[in-house]
Amino acid sequence: MLERCIGERRLRQIQRGVQNMKLTFLCLLLTLLVLRGTIGAGKYGTPQQDFIELRQRFISHPHRALAEQNQPEPKPKKSDKDDEPPLRSLNDPYSLGPKISDWDSQRADWIHRHPERPNFLTKTKPRVLLVTGSSPKPCENPVGDHYLLKSIKNKIDYCRVHNIEIFYNMALLDAEMAGFWAKLPLIRALLLAHPEVEFLWWMDSDAMFTDMAFELPWERYAPYNLVMHGWDEMVYKDKNWIGLNTGSFLLRNCQWSLDLLDAWAPMGPKGPVRTEAGKILTKTLKDRPVFEADDQSAMVYLLVTQKEKWANKVYLESAYYLHGYWGILVDRYEEMIENYHPGLGDHRWPLVTHFVGCKPCGKFGDYPVERCLKQMDRAFNFGDNQILQMYGFTHKSLASRRVRRVRNETSNPLEVKDELGLLHPDFKAVQHHAS
Amino acid sequence: MGHEGVGFKSGSTRSGLPTTRSRVPRGRQIQKTFNNVKITVLCGFVTLLVLRGTIGVGNLTGSTLESEDQRVVEDIDRILREIRTDSEPEPQDPLSSLYFVNSTAHNWTYAEAVEAVNYSLGPKISDWDQQRQVWLSQNPNFPNQLLGKHRILLVTGSPPNPCDNAIGDHYLLKSTKNKIDYCRLHGIEIVYNMAHLDKELAGYWAKLPLIRKLMLSHPEIEWIWWMDSDAFFTDMAFELPLEKYKNHNLIIHGYPDLLFEQHSWIALNTGSFLFRNCQWSLDLLDAWAPMGPKGIVRELAGKILTANLKGRPAFEADDQSALIYLLTSQQDKWMSKVYVENSYYLHGFWAGLVDKYEEMIEQNHPGLGDERWPFVTHFVGCKPCGSYGDYPVERCLNSMERAFNFGDNQVLRLYGFAHKGLVSPKIKRVQDQTSDPLQVKEKLDMAARITM
Repeated sequence: MLERCIGERRLRQIQRGVQNMKLTFLCLLLTLLVLRGTIGAGKYGTPQQDFIELRQRFISHPHRALAEQNQPEPKPKKSDKDDEPPLRSLNDPYSLGPKISDWDSQRADWIHRHPERPNFLTKTKPRVLLVTGSSPKPCENPVGDHYLLKSIKNKIDYCRVHNIEIFYNMALLDAEMAGFWAKLPLIRALLLAHPEVEFLWWMDSDAMFTDMAFELPWERYAPYNLVMHGWDEMVYKDKNWIGLNTGSFLLRNCQWSLDLLDAWAPMGPKGPVRTEAGKILTKTLKDRPVFEADDQSAMVYLLVTQKEKWANKVYLESAYYLHGYWGILVDRYEEMIENYHPGLGDHRWPLVTHFVGCKPCGKFGDYPVERCLKQMDRAFNFGDNQILQMYGFTHKSLASRRVRRVRNETSNPLEVKDELGLLHPDFKAVQHHAS
Repeated sequence: MGHEGVGFKSGSTRSGLPTTRSRVPRGRQIQKTFNNVKITVLCGFVTLLVLRGTIGVGNLTGSTLESEDQRVVEDIDRILREIRTDSEPEPQDPLSSLYFVNSTAHNWTYAEAVEAVNYSLGPKISDWDQQRQVWLSQNPNFPNQLLGKHRILLVTGSPPNPCDNAIGDHYLLKSTKNKIDYCRLHGIEIVYNMAHLDKELAGYWAKLPLIRKLMLSHPEIEWIWWMDSDAFFTDMAFELPLEKYKNHNLIIHGYPDLLFEQHSWIALNTGSFLFRNCQWSLDLLDAWAPMGPKGIVRELAGKILTANLKGRPAFEADDQSALIYLLTSQQDKWMSKVYVENSYYLHGFWAGLVDKYEEMIEQNHPGLGDERWPFVTHFVGCKPCGSYGDYPVERCLNSMERAFNFGDNQVLRLYGFAHKGLVSPKIKRVQDQTSDPLQVKEKLDMAARITM
């Protein structure tokens, strides 16, 4: 019928035209693709970005640039499926445990009955329990356990010098609060089981002490119950999700803290609760990527939305690195050794170097594996040198495991004092009273 | 319709022309199809190339996660190899060249080798007891007793490089946690050593310079307790009976008959022992060290030890055999101050203990420290960190996990939890939470029966 209307030659012409158009269109498409791939078309994105987006959409992979995930999510295996708790619904409120309202008086009674375990070691120095931990299963990454071992040795050293007790946790107390939230039920259990502890110091397993001589300014914290590294403006004004860091913080053992834990916990339970809470957090907090609720963002949210209730007992410390992001510190160690000395705790000689995002125990961190591991070695040696100097040794270099002697043996060892005075420092001295 | 039907039927080319054209269009058709196919294939090929170049998709079926996985694993392997081979050449024993190269020359005897090497742990100190007393009186803020108990320093350690076997590091970590728990419960300080303080006394001998160093640096410490990294605390309630050792300076697990009558090389165990911080201990360390220096001395010493100790295989001198030899050959000088302890497992050989844990839980309770509830379970010969142990790897790892959990249960109990089974890392609640936690704590007795 078409032939009849237009005529065969015409038809053939049109067909040819259409085929040419098809070819032209195809070539144009190809050209565009190539250009997009090579030059990059700005807001229309490149294929690389497309791919990453696709990958991210199909595999939920929270990209925490400056926050941390300390425990790997337990992967559901056949044997685990039976004892996986049913996911909590949004209407079912979570509780860390039976409500306690008189903890301060319970605790005071106990301390009174047990003078052999006082909550203050000297007039100003409280009894502190450093809490850290890792998974009871071997790391996926074959060197992960080695770095966990070095990290705990590092903490043992600092705590021995500063008379602090350590609790290394390897137990998941509440399967609902797995992952970064696991610290909440643990902290509550420890506070209640150790009334003699005045301050509980949570520290991530990927944080290392790099200033062995720095003693925390305990008197400064007398009026406060929660001390975290952060900045007031970033939290209360900007509502920035990295305005504070929950990788290293102090919590006083008191009723206020139990109430805080109860107010902090609701966003934690795995499943729809955590996912929905994550959306609220991303909406409210500045720069927060999209992923499920984490304890750090939830803390910022809590402080921002209930400021009148909590803020007066919270101290955001920025005078020294109670938490020090490793990215800006590790390349400067040689410079620090050159120009400064231990005991400062701040940008000149950081108290803590925290390897946020490295995840040496898992397979995928946010940074290249090599950089993370090499820098962790350097940070470890940087801190270890301050311990070895007590005994007259030092590492051959910040990258080397080997040590060399820097002080000769003598037949009068007690007349020699170590340079940093860490063998018998004031902050380790026992209160001189009848024991 | 009829027309169209005719039109349609008359030829595929729609030109409507009759069959004269069908032969030529057939050939041209084939050519055209062929051309089309060529172009399609070419275009497809170009597309693939472009996509590969831009997105970097080697295989479009999305197995990139595995390849990324693979890449990470390769990366880690490469870094591991770099870390492990980070080593300088071993220092040469000055006499080894003579020993090996020139066999017709003088054959070194042990005594000559010792004299030639002339090793010493440090400058001789003869008045350590007085030095220490003076220091303690000048430093009342660092007393040698706390709450009526002498201060103890637990010393352990491991090599600074990653284990050859990755699971080894995991068990070093668990072993460290286990020691942290016991020491926190008993007010003991820990030193975890990862440094080779003396290249000559490397290996099992490394504890000697370390112990000496710590004694001299910490006069406030009364007892130095060396413990191997493969030893686990399995009785968290057991307290060392220090009053028993008032008149002794070395507390070591062993059997007097094996030691004095049979001179057995396993009569004592240097995997867990206590040294008092005093002059006598410094003298013992000085007398113990000579068999230690690597190379010709250690080898010749090994031969002497194998000749004199019952059951000892032929290998270089180790600290345990050397100590046994020293104490038996100089009995009068040393034994009055040595307490050979076997009333509890200051060291408990694992093979005879690990299978009985369930039975122990059933019948006994913590605080006993002996065969009913062993104080220490020591995984001698397992070597999870190295590549070759003396026992099957699976048995060792399984047993270490059981020992760790057996001890961990006694700690978790304080918080109301216990492991689901001795091999399981998972825990279950064994005591409900209450709003009166301190009442529970008051009643809690570490040495009471455990109901699982």
